[in-house]
Amino acid sequence: MKFKDKRNKVMELKNTKMQDWLSRRGFMGDVAAGIIGVALMDLDRAESAEKPESWQPGKPQFEPKARQVLHIFCPGAASHIDLWDYKPALAQYHGTPLPGAEAFLSFQGKNGNLMKSPWPFIRSGQSGKPISSILPNVAKHADDIAFIHSMTSRSNTHGPGCIFMNTGFVREGFPSAGAWVGYALGSLNDNLPRFVAMPDVRGEPPNGKANWSNGFLPAAYQAVPMTAQQAIRNLNPPNEIRGESEKAARSYLDRINRRYADQHPDNTELSARVSSYELAARMQLAAPEATGMDGEPAHIRQLYGVDDANPLKSAYAKNCLMARRFLERGVRYVSLYCASRASGVDGLLNWDAHKTLKADYERHCPIFDQPTAALITDLKQRGLLEKDVLIIWTTEFGRMPTHQEGTSGRDHNPDAFTTWMMGAGVKGGTSYGATDEFGRKSVEKITTAHDFYATVLHLLGLDHERLTYYHNGTNRRLTDVHGHVIREILT
Amino acid sequence: MRSHNLPILFFHFLIISGITLLGNSNNHAADSPIDFEKQVAPILSARCIGCHQPGKAKGGLDLTTLKMALKGGESGPAFELGLNQSSELLSRITPENPNSKPDMPRQGEPLLAEQIQILNRWIREGAKWPENLILTERSKSDASTWWSLQKLANTKVPKLPESFPINWEINAIDHFIAFKLATEGLKPSPPADRRILLRRLHYDLTGLPPTTEEVQAFLNDNLPDAYERRVDRLLASPRYGEHWGRYWLDVVRFGESNGFERNVLIDNSWPFRDYVIRSLNEDKPFPQMIREHLAGDVLLPDRPEDMLGVAFLTVGPFDDVGNQDPVQAAQIRANAIDDTIVATSSAFLGLTIGCARCHDHKFDPILQSDYYRLQSTFDGTRQGARPLATTAQLEMRGRHLKPLEARRNLISTGLANLEKTFQERVTQELKNRPVKITKPLVSPQGIEERFTEKAVKQIRLTILNSDRDPNSASGTRIEELELWTKSPIPKNLALATAGTKITGPSRKPGDFSDAYAPELMIDGKFGAAWVSAATPAVVVLTLSKPEILEKLLASSDRGGEIKGKTPYNVFLGDYTLEISTDGVAWELLADSARERPAPSEAHDQARRRRLGYNAMETAEMQKLRGELTEVEQKIALVPNFTSVWAGNFAQPAKPAYLQIGGDPQRRGPDIFPGSPSYLKSTMPAYQLDSNAPESERRKALADWISSPQNVLTWRVLANRIWHLHFGTGIVDTPGDFGYMGGRPSHPELLDWLANRLIDHGGRWKPLHREIVLSQTYRQSSVANSAGVAKDVQSRFLWRYPPRRLQGEQIRDSMLYAGGVLNETRGGPGFRLYQYLQDNVATYVSLDNPGPETWRRSIYHQSARAAKVDYLSDFDCPDNAQSAPSRLTTTTPLQSMTQWNHQFTMRMAEKLAERVHSIADPKARVSEIFKIVYQRQPTVQEVEESATLAASAGWVNLTRVLINSNEFLYLE
Repeated sequence: MKFKDKRNKVMELKNTKMQDWLSRRGFMGDVAAGIIGVALMDLDRAESAEKPESWQPGKPQFEPKARQVLHIFCPGAASHIDLWDYKPALAQYHGTPLPGAEAFLSFQGKNGNLMKSPWPFIRSGQSGKPISSILPNVAKHADDIAFIHSMTSRSNTHGPGCIFMNTGFVREGFPSAGAWVGYALGSLNDNLPRFVAMPDVRGEPPNGKANWSNGFLPAAYQAVPMTAQQAIRNLNPPNEIRGESEKAARSYLDRINRRYADQHPDNTELSARVSSYELAARMQLAAPEATGMDGEPAHIRQLYGVDDANPLKSAYAKNCLMARRFLERGVRYVSLYCASRASGVDGLLNWDAHKTLKADYERHCPIFDQPTAALITDLKQRGLLEKDVLIIWTTEFGRMPTHQEGTSGRDHNPDAFTTWMMGAGVKGGTSYGATDEFGRKSVEKITTAHDFYATVLHLLGLDHERLTYYHNGTNRRLTDVHGHVIREILT
Repeated sequence: MRSHNLPILFFHFLIISGITLLGNSNNHAADSPIDFEKQVAPILSARCIGCHQPGKAKGGLDLTTLKMALKGGESGPAFELGLNQSSELLSRITPENPNSKPDMPRQGEPLLAEQIQILNRWIREGAKWPENLILTERSKSDASTWWSLQKLANTKVPKLPESFPINWEINAIDHFIAFKLATEGLKPSPPADRRILLRRLHYDLTGLPPTTEEVQAFLNDNLPDAYERRVDRLLASPRYGEHWGRYWLDVVRFGESNGFERNVLIDNSWPFRDYVIRSLNEDKPFPQMIREHLAGDVLLPDRPEDMLGVAFLTVGPFDDVGNQDPVQAAQIRANAIDDTIVATSSAFLGLTIGCARCHDHKFDPILQSDYYRLQSTFDGTRQGARPLATTAQLEMRGRHLKPLEARRNLISTGLANLEKTFQERVTQELKNRPVKITKPLVSPQGIEERFTEKAVKQIRLTILNSDRDPNSASGTRIEELELWTKSPIPKNLALATAGTKITGPSRKPGDFSDAYAPELMIDGKFGAAWVSAATPAVVVLTLSKPEILEKLLASSDRGGEIKGKTPYNVFLGDYTLEISTDGVAWELLADSARERPAPSEAHDQARRRRLGYNAMETAEMQKLRGELTEVEQKIALVPNFTSVWAGNFAQPAKPAYLQIGGDPQRRGPDIFPGSPSYLKSTMPAYQLDSNAPESERRKALADWISSPQNVLTWRVLANRIWHLHFGTGIVDTPGDFGYMGGRPSHPELLDWLANRLIDHGGRWKPLHREIVLSQTYRQSSVANSAGVAKDVQSRFLWRYPPRRLQGEQIRDSMLYAGGVLNETRGGPGFRLYQYLQDNVATYVSLDNPGPETWRRSIYHQSARAAKVDYLSDFDCPDNAQSAPSRLTTTTPLQSMTQWNHQFTMRMAEKLAERVHSIADPKARVSEIFKIVYQRQPTVQEVEESATLAASAGWVNLTRVLINSNEFLYLE
């Protein structure tokens, strides 16, 4: 009966763990006994798979360099060779064929000759990193940024590409990085969600809500969408029920729920539900406090561009400012989007410049540049980039160095793109990996989303191979069965 | 057999060569050369390949082939050929001194000295490794011993332990449970209160609670078979299929949008949902259901309503973006088949075969070739719709249509001739007054129109058609309008910044209505464009004050960046331009039809049509159109068949092949359709040849899975049924009976139940009946300290484990309590989201879903990744993958939804209305309690509730009760 013994031991552990977790009551469901059952089921599984690790979700596995993540995502495939990855050869060979690519077909089909970037690159900061002149404000932070120029993706399609960059899988149904981090590290503020998604005012990114899904993790780990344009759903009762009667009703619910829980003392889910109503009530106060920006001084609003005449820029600026407020208040993972889904016009609502690169990016870059740079400046001046916040910037893949046949735009390029990190634990002013001379393919220190997140988790004090969750037969990971920590960009 | 890249399947080999990993050193004389296959390969397979294989080559080292081993990793080759060469491999596995741990293997114990010795000798002897031999990792479990792969045990029902109540004697299930409880030193609980038992039974079999009357009738029924009769009645209720069908739909990852980037709704998938509900209500034998799921089209071509079970193969997510890159396109196709393979394996066999796509399964004895045998089986399956009809019906329809279509064609020809006559007449007439072409052809790069000396306040541009197709109603694009003033310094006034206003009907995607707004025409930038809602369309510009203008410019691709005609530079074709000073009187400034060449012959015809038909032509036209309408009505009356999302099937052109590392570009040997290898020893295998008809492939698999000899099919099904009755299965991972899954808490009972299912011909209802009639099921859920101390999760069933209702049950129960549940069965689903589509789909949860949505939740059109209030909040799974069990989580978001959502308010109001006629507040409270909790309130509860109702209103009382734990929990 060896198996049974083990099982019982696990159950005892579950009991004590449950008490432990209940006493801590994080916002998004540490309260939930059901979840604990599952989390420990995972532990149980790890045990049966002969994994000796004793780590349990709720704290880092080793000393972390960062505690929170700000994830800025520019959906639509923001062009590496027009923003971050300087390729002088493109200008030199402009208008000539890309060697060896004569019969090459990419996402939308045939491609033309090499096309230089419409904007010059300018050396920035002490490090002299060349950055496109269309991003003058973000460029000022060059010395704090670690660029990864050798990214590759498994998909050349926006939707799967986005969820690959967010979940490590091209197929739906997997938890996004924010859900994993929330699951692993728990909450820093009981009254706010651990994971907040901030979609752009123009709409959700490609593949929509799957980008911030909890996947097969418990519902508690999904992101709560919250932006300047979209409050938390169902935060407040309908207008007709407010005031005294609301208070009386709440108090009666609390009484009968407690009475029922007392009658069923063995069922910890019941008292968890009592707590969850209390938390919801606290949230009603905490959320407006976090999202309210009335108290922000004029110079801060100006820094971000909150009152810009361009409504799209103003909307993104507000979300940037709100992101800072969330991070200050202990939200673990903020997913901030600049641009949205595919539209009836390629490149209109996002960075997908198939046809008119110049016009498209002259629209998107001014929306992105100042508010993003302001958010970095603001976090930095508040000391949050030292030990707290890790900033990561991503997109789903890159663009071709050639122009798409018959257009002045670029097609999708899953073989090369740039992402970057900065903040807590990251060595600024570095560039890791490289693409070939035209930016067509990553050639040096080829990197994937799995390596990228292995590094992010490492900075958060987590070993990406040990952060697992049992689902349908496998101990799943954010990094699938891959991933190497990119040590060269760490302090 | 092909020798190239043929994987050698080492776990078979290991079985033959014995369990020792010493590599049989005893069987080989110390002086005979090392035998790679027998001595070295087992060590490498068991201890090295796990981390050193394609796709997961730690340190860059891949040890699966000689070539890769010689190529080596970051620290150089693993070893080199030739005598007495140095070896990185050896130095890594050998400890520096007897007490230190060697560098490798990183996981588990170091290699034994004998094993190191074998590897050492082998390398010194020249590292002989047959050239085309590929090593694979050895799985943790093997087919000959793994519990779930063994024959069903013919266990004798154990004797009831003496300490158990006499009524536990009757049902065999109780014997198994009692035996285990006794072994564990646990005591059963007393029978549940009858009211509680009835509530449990109703929810369990139908997903809804009993009504007040049903409770009363049961409590008044003193006959000994009262419970049994109620069980039979509920099993016969159509609600049974609506409740249990939901579970099956979870298992088969049923979703009604395609997922991925576009995620558009599929509106003809619901018949599969109805098929599942109907099949369960009919108590269709499970083997029959399996066969319909895998090959309904083949087996039942003349029974369309059952044939559509085959939709199972294609109700999963798939990428439909359309990719021109052939490498990516191959991967996308492989992913679509993967969905079918994984769904089949997890639904029926409870094994996670997806892991064997890239390599042999690490934990279970599933070979990579097993995976590709299934890929070969489903190679001809494609997502798509098919008419729901028999061959005979399709032919019959064709026969009816033939004469009608002939008539329609005749009338159409008449109309075309008439149009031709008209066009010729007008052309002749126009020859006498020719159009003077004074301006160039319209071009997306821009048109120019000049103004007079008159001051202008408003400009009206009427777009008559697009430059592509004069008869198309789709939108036209303008990226920029410019209105230039005269010298001295020309100024563009078509700018919002200059105070100019613009109107024009634009295409409005729901999530960002300004995406194609008319203001984009006067933003001073090229690129972003106005897209009209439809064509024709009218754009009006209003200047801040009257101005004298020189010219207007309009373009859709000013820079000429988009060569060729693409949807991105659709521009206006014919148009008129008018000006006004007061917005009342308009003066025509330009009419392209009189001044510019027609973009096409069709445009020419459209221009002539604008001149109008004469009386005779009009009369003839009306006559023919009337006739056409008539015949089209007749055609519409010929019964048509529903088109259902049930997949299409075609014979694959080429054989499937093993994809090395799961990559379609890395070709392994050809693989033909056949049964997976892991049940070889318990049932007959089959292997088809390369040109087996597509239909035979699926039929053979269906026969194999539905066979009474397939131990997985029956164990997995028995466990699923148990899982739903008790909240946890005998195996607590209902979709995974492999090494990583749970172990059975009652293995003998599981096999007994599986055998019962087979005895019942695979019908579910007799098994439900046996389970719910057991004393085990009828126990109280009240905890006792001994039970909690030993088994808090009640896996041994010392009580009935209490649990929360599922999302659908909660929502349905609220509708039921409100007395407004619309029990219309079947048909197209309702939506709890607003569906927005602009190239891709967006789903926005509804704030206040109306009465049209007040149906049972199983009829919700379940789009993937839609996240809707209530259902998503209460753990209804995202249907991207099979969801064999649900989590129960408790989150503040849940509480916020249930407390604050308009739906709660509506149901609270409806419930309050239901009892409004009861004047006495105490009696009213009592009635509400009976509806919500199926019980009378206590004196205290009456008092408190009436007080709340008096101060906060009755709606607040009902709102509180439908939020309460007692409402949500099943005891």
